[in-house]
Amino acid sequence: MPDADVILVIDDEPQIRRAVRDALREVTARVDEAANGTAGVDAAATGRPDLVVLDLGLPDMAGVDVCREIRRRSAVPIIVLSARHSEHEKVDLLNAGADDYVTKPFSVPELAARAKAQIRRARTFAAAGTSGPVAIGGLLVDTVNRRVSRDGTQIHLTPIEWQILATLLAAAGRTLTHQQIFDAVWGREFGSPQQYLRVHITNLRRKIELDPASPQIIITEPGVGYRVDQPR
Amino acid sequence: MSRHKSALVWSGWIVATFLATIFMAHTRGAFDQVHVVLVYLLLVLGASASGGRVLGVSLACAGFVLIDYFFQPPFGEFGVGKPLDWLALTAFLVTALVSTQLLARAQAEAEAARRRAVEVESLARLGSETLSAGRAEDALARIASVIRSTLGMAECTIVPVEPGDSAAVRASGPARIDGGSGAVQRLVIPLSVQDRVVGTLRLENATPVRLDMAQRRFLDAITYYAALAIDRVRLVAEAEHIEALREADRLKDIVLASVSHDLRTPLTTIKALAQSAAMQGNDAGAAIEEQADRLTRMVSDLLDLSRLKGGGFAAAPELNTAEDLIGAAVRQTRGLFGGRTLRTVIDLSSPALVGQFDFSQSLRVLCNLLENASRYSPPSQPIELGARRDEDALLFTVADRGPGVAEADVTRIFEPFFRARNATPDAGRAGLGLSIARTLAEIQGGTLTYSPRPGGGSVFALRLPAREVGADALEQSIDSISNG
Repeated sequence: MPDADVILVIDDEPQIRRAVRDALREVTARVDEAANGTAGVDAAATGRPDLVVLDLGLPDMAGVDVCREIRRRSAVPIIVLSARHSEHEKVDLLNAGADDYVTKPFSVPELAARAKAQIRRARTFAAAGTSGPVAIGGLLVDTVNRRVSRDGTQIHLTPIEWQILATLLAAAGRTLTHQQIFDAVWGREFGSPQQYLRVHITNLRRKIELDPASPQIIITEPGVGYRVDQPR
Repeated sequence: MSRHKSALVWSGWIVATFLATIFMAHTRGAFDQVHVVLVYLLLVLGASASGGRVLGVSLACAGFVLIDYFFQPPFGEFGVGKPLDWLALTAFLVTALVSTQLLARAQAEAEAARRRAVEVESLARLGSETLSAGRAEDALARIASVIRSTLGMAECTIVPVEPGDSAAVRASGPARIDGGSGAVQRLVIPLSVQDRVVGTLRLENATPVRLDMAQRRFLDAITYYAALAIDRVRLVAEAEHIEALREADRLKDIVLASVSHDLRTPLTTIKALAQSAAMQGNDAGAAIEEQADRLTRMVSDLLDLSRLKGGGFAAAPELNTAEDLIGAAVRQTRGLFGGRTLRTVIDLSSPALVGQFDFSQSLRVLCNLLENASRYSPPSQPIELGARRDEDALLFTVADRGPGVAEADVTRIFEPFFRARNATPDAGRAGLGLSIARTLAEIQGGTLTYSPRPGGGSVFALRLPAREVGADALEQSIDSISNG
């Protein structure tokens, strides 16, 4: 059963638009299309889609700019398609407001899964009111009382470790760049990303993951940042 | 001096002597013997200067006789009376002969110096022409014509030697001089630069030509310049060739990068449509998707190759942890091992292993190594991925129980496109995995090495710089957050 009403695909190549439309057949009945950046930004504003799939390499606008323009007007999840494996580009786009990043050629099931995840995340976020404890990967996280436990045993986290976990959970389903995590945990005044962020993440994993060397809760996005998957 | 001119000079001075004698004989009373001797001396000097030594000597002797006959008593007879007269005569003769000799030598030296100056000047001219001629071939022609005119030979050719011929030229031996007189009709001289024969110099004339010492010296020197000129032709051609190769290489890299980029779009469409078809139960769709994946891997490899050569990998090392890297490697290679186990070996009880490295690049190294291991390892044996501290480095190891690497191949496995003899057919990879991995390791200041595994198999080891992170450093960041 389709999860969403409308998905907007912004891509100047008709074959790619068709390929994406086919890939998302399971996710939604209606796929809108735009062939350039300007049309895409307009369609995002007027059509109110539940997800935007944005291809880079548009003739009239840079991908980051389209992202920012759409993000200025709404919180619609944006998945970016890129031809290049560039972490630098990925970080820029995530910082500009994109939610996920897929490299071409993409795998259809993968794109469909990511699309579903982003839509679901946006819905959950919109519903808001995360007052109760969140269960994730066998962990029980009480954001109000700042308590984490597994199988009834409380786990003690340092203030930084707690802040990192909370930040990732608040954006569950989205990849946060190192810069974004840093901003949320240490605040903008501190300048460039605190260099020990990854060490803190490693220590955090040792406390909350079943197998820290094969993490299931906090996922590494190499060269970009970290994410926590949506709790089910 | 030509014969004609020489005859003129001789007769001129003889006539002058004759006239002077007659004049002085008639006016004998007005002159002292001293004046007469001086006049004859002047005549001898003048004759030597313009007519050469022989004329000078002849007139000196003639003067001796004439003074005795005409100007010493008894007059009109050969005979010397007083001892003082003898003195005068002898003094005259000696003076005349010595000065003739001195004059002759001075003239010879002046002539030699002039000749040398001409030689040096023409050599210098040749030297500058060799270096500055517009086309290297023109220098050769000019040198040949200078030799021809300087030596007075009818023909002079300089022939560069073809690479295969040098042995033949050396065998033909040094200069051949026809006849025993030292006269040269036909001469073949091998030209060499630093013991390398680069060509030959051929001189030819219709009749034998005598070459004096100066000319032989000139010839020796000139052959050196001729050799340099030939070498210059060769060097210029080589430089042009290298430049053309470099340009072609650069263009190839540009084409490689842009083509790889453009190939991804059609591949995306093919893969997506094939996947959709496969998901609807179409077997052909699955096969097409597999081939599309294979093509994608080839495109990636090509792109990597161009970046490898063009220095496109720039490292951004940061503080990272070994566990983070291991975890990411395990996740990325999920599904690669086809039933084989991937075992991770890392000590989680001691403080986190921290290093300074570029996460994505090191991840790429580990994934390439794991991919390699999965290709060569037997299905029943696990592959081991480990990390530990080794002195001032973090040591990541990928170990398998495959056939290992043959001794002869050990130094070559990290070369681009190298495939060992016992390699499995590669399912589309171009043999770049290890060379890319090593490059990535090195630009981060690390190393990637191979060693045989005890008990059979291979161990690839990646070393990266380790770092200490004191508890206080982490504490500090806690302070900053509680104050913030």
